[in-house]
Amino acid sequence: MFGSLTQAVAICLFQSDGRVCRMSQAWFQHTFSRKRFRTRSQATALAILGVAILLILGSLYLSQVASFAITNRQIEDLISRRDALKRQNEKLIGEIASYRTVPRLFARAVEIGFRPATNADIDYVLIEGYKPNRNRASATTAEDSRIEPEAPIYEETFSGWLEQQLALVSKQFQSFGN
Amino acid sequence: MQGPSSQKATIQARLPFVAIFLILLAAYLVINLANFQFFPRSVRQELEKIGNSITNTTLRIPAERGRIYDRDGEPFAFNVIQYRLGISPALVAAGYAESLSETLAEILDLPESEIIRKATSENVWEFLAGPISAEQGQAIAALDEISLGLEEIPKRFYPQGELAAHVIGIVVDDGLRGALGVEGAYNDTLSGRVLDLSVSNVPFDLPEDRPAEQRGQDIVLTIDRDVQFWVETELKNAIEEYNAFRGTVIVMDPRNGDVLALANHPSIDPNNFLEIADPNLRVNPAINETYEPGSLMLVLTVAGALEKGVISPFWTYNDTGYIEVGGRDIYNATYRSYGTTDVTTILMSSLNVGATKIALEMGTSNFYGMMRAFGLGQATGVGLFAEERGELRIPGDSDWSESFLGLNSHGQSIEVTPMQMITAFAAIANDGIMRQPRIVRQVINADGVEDARPSTIRRVVSAETAALVKNMLILVVRDGAPAAELPGYSIAGMPGTAKISTAVAFEEGRNAKILSFIGFLPADDPQVAVMVKMDRPDADFGHQVAAPLFRRIADRLVILLEIPDDNVRARLTDVEANLNGSNN
Repeated sequence: MFGSLTQAVAICLFQSDGRVCRMSQAWFQHTFSRKRFRTRSQATALAILGVAILLILGSLYLSQVASFAITNRQIEDLISRRDALKRQNEKLIGEIASYRTVPRLFARAVEIGFRPATNADIDYVLIEGYKPNRNRASATTAEDSRIEPEAPIYEETFSGWLEQQLALVSKQFQSFGN
Repeated sequence: MQGPSSQKATIQARLPFVAIFLILLAAYLVINLANFQFFPRSVRQELEKIGNSITNTTLRIPAERGRIYDRDGEPFAFNVIQYRLGISPALVAAGYAESLSETLAEILDLPESEIIRKATSENVWEFLAGPISAEQGQAIAALDEISLGLEEIPKRFYPQGELAAHVIGIVVDDGLRGALGVEGAYNDTLSGRVLDLSVSNVPFDLPEDRPAEQRGQDIVLTIDRDVQFWVETELKNAIEEYNAFRGTVIVMDPRNGDVLALANHPSIDPNNFLEIADPNLRVNPAINETYEPGSLMLVLTVAGALEKGVISPFWTYNDTGYIEVGGRDIYNATYRSYGTTDVTTILMSSLNVGATKIALEMGTSNFYGMMRAFGLGQATGVGLFAEERGELRIPGDSDWSESFLGLNSHGQSIEVTPMQMITAFAAIANDGIMRQPRIVRQVINADGVEDARPSTIRRVVSAETAALVKNMLILVVRDGAPAAELPGYSIAGMPGTAKISTAVAFEEGRNAKILSFIGFLPADDPQVAVMVKMDRPDADFGHQVAAPLFRRIADRLVILLEIPDDNVRARLTDVEANLNGSNN
């Protein structure tokens, strides 16, 4: 079979040059026609090996891709779970804030017998020798004492000044008239 | 007939042409292939876009709006999620519409017949319900029904309800844009960035997460929730007691300009702002509306004159009860003459003639210069939405006349906001230094906390002038407005009475006045300043209604802000002085 095939190929390729064709024909026959059984088994083994390698690579690729897809899906789920938890958290903050509103706390305090303190109810106790660590905001700071009163921001316009001058002149004329 | 050699010769003769043709064809193909590989940028982008449109979906992700807290971290505004529900009738499985409608009717509390009608409609899409709560949304999502579409709607929630409603403001446009109050003024800070996120449909691509910086920044206010509550409670009680039309109270720390409370009554519920029938209620009278301040202006006139050296604390004049300025007659409110009168009496008795005399002594340049220095005619920049700047007409303005100098000196023909007035008084309380009033204390973003440090606008008057005026205001409270006095505390303050002016004249009648009081305490070391303003109450003078309200508020403030009385503070000062002495 190989012989006739190679012969045909050789004829096809080298038709214009009969010498080369004949030489090639002989070489093909020499190469493929001898020891047919061994050649087939090698080619088959190579083919099987190739297919096996392809299968291994393919399955590796597929498993990797599937793993990516699963992981990504898990990440997506986690993101949506996180968002849902954040929403629940916001809702809980809202509920807590609603329970902690001053009118509600005040009403509840009154219910259980408390009343608002007045200034007269407060007693301050001074402890000699104790210096509270009070963060008192002072009225002025050293920096403030350096601030000078600003010059008045008064911008008299030219037209205003002109009006004033005209008014003064007219007033003088009026006084002359009187 | 041609022989083989002739055929061969013909072929050989034609071969170069065929070869050349084939070479040219190959070259053409190669050039086209190269062109295809190296498109111009615009074409490449267009092709990428087409490619992305197949493999990617663009999602518009609304930014989560930042929260608003009071100074102690109590939430004033944050977000909750609601849903909008729709159905694709074509995707409802045959024979399943009824059972689906029954389930939905139970969850949504809607008539089943209506849901069936929509579920079997011929339309591609039918709106079912919305906004629905997060619980309802989650129950529907759990059905895992392909024909149902849930769309998230972010909703702003104000857990404190009406408390500080005008300070916080509202959001409009489906929660995307802030209006009024801090929501409006700090919209850019709070709103974050709306993202158009390109999400890959390819399952092998890593899922996109929304970036943290997309979220709006949180804001911490200077408002103290407890102070705000008591101020609103007392204001509401006073308005009912005096049958006033409305009222405003501002509480400020003069040492740093922090607004601790800003209350208006009547107020609004920002959770239901669409249901507010009267649009005027959405206006914050503390900053969005102006009024003629009346007698309160006397304090600024006197302080300005003392600062300019035009008068001394011992300056007197002969009060005849009447004065003419620029062709206009100005009378005292009581139409009485007071004879020889000193500066403190001008303040105590709110003498329009005395104030006019002082303004005339100052002259236009000094007077208007000082009024501008006190911040009149300019927005304070407190950090609230659409603040009014008031109206201070000065010489040169087309509508200014000479009589304005006299009228302005006692608070007529001049428009101010309550925020401007308390800021000016706070400057006197703070030894003459005007602090920038502020409502925002901190901004919290992904990078951390940014403190808004208190800032100084300017020194308006010297410490000596401020001390002189403070002493006068202590006497004003003692002898002119004793209802403002708080036992154990030195109070400095000034009541104000202003007629309500219309386009042509002043309104007449008992309820045609705005009565106010501004005071600060303790007078020797002011830690808090309070402005009270009541519109159209059943009373004639500020010391009758505004001063008692000031006292009630001050009574609460000294407890809430832990301000000891004068005796305790004096003893504390002694103890601290002894401690410092012994340490040295």
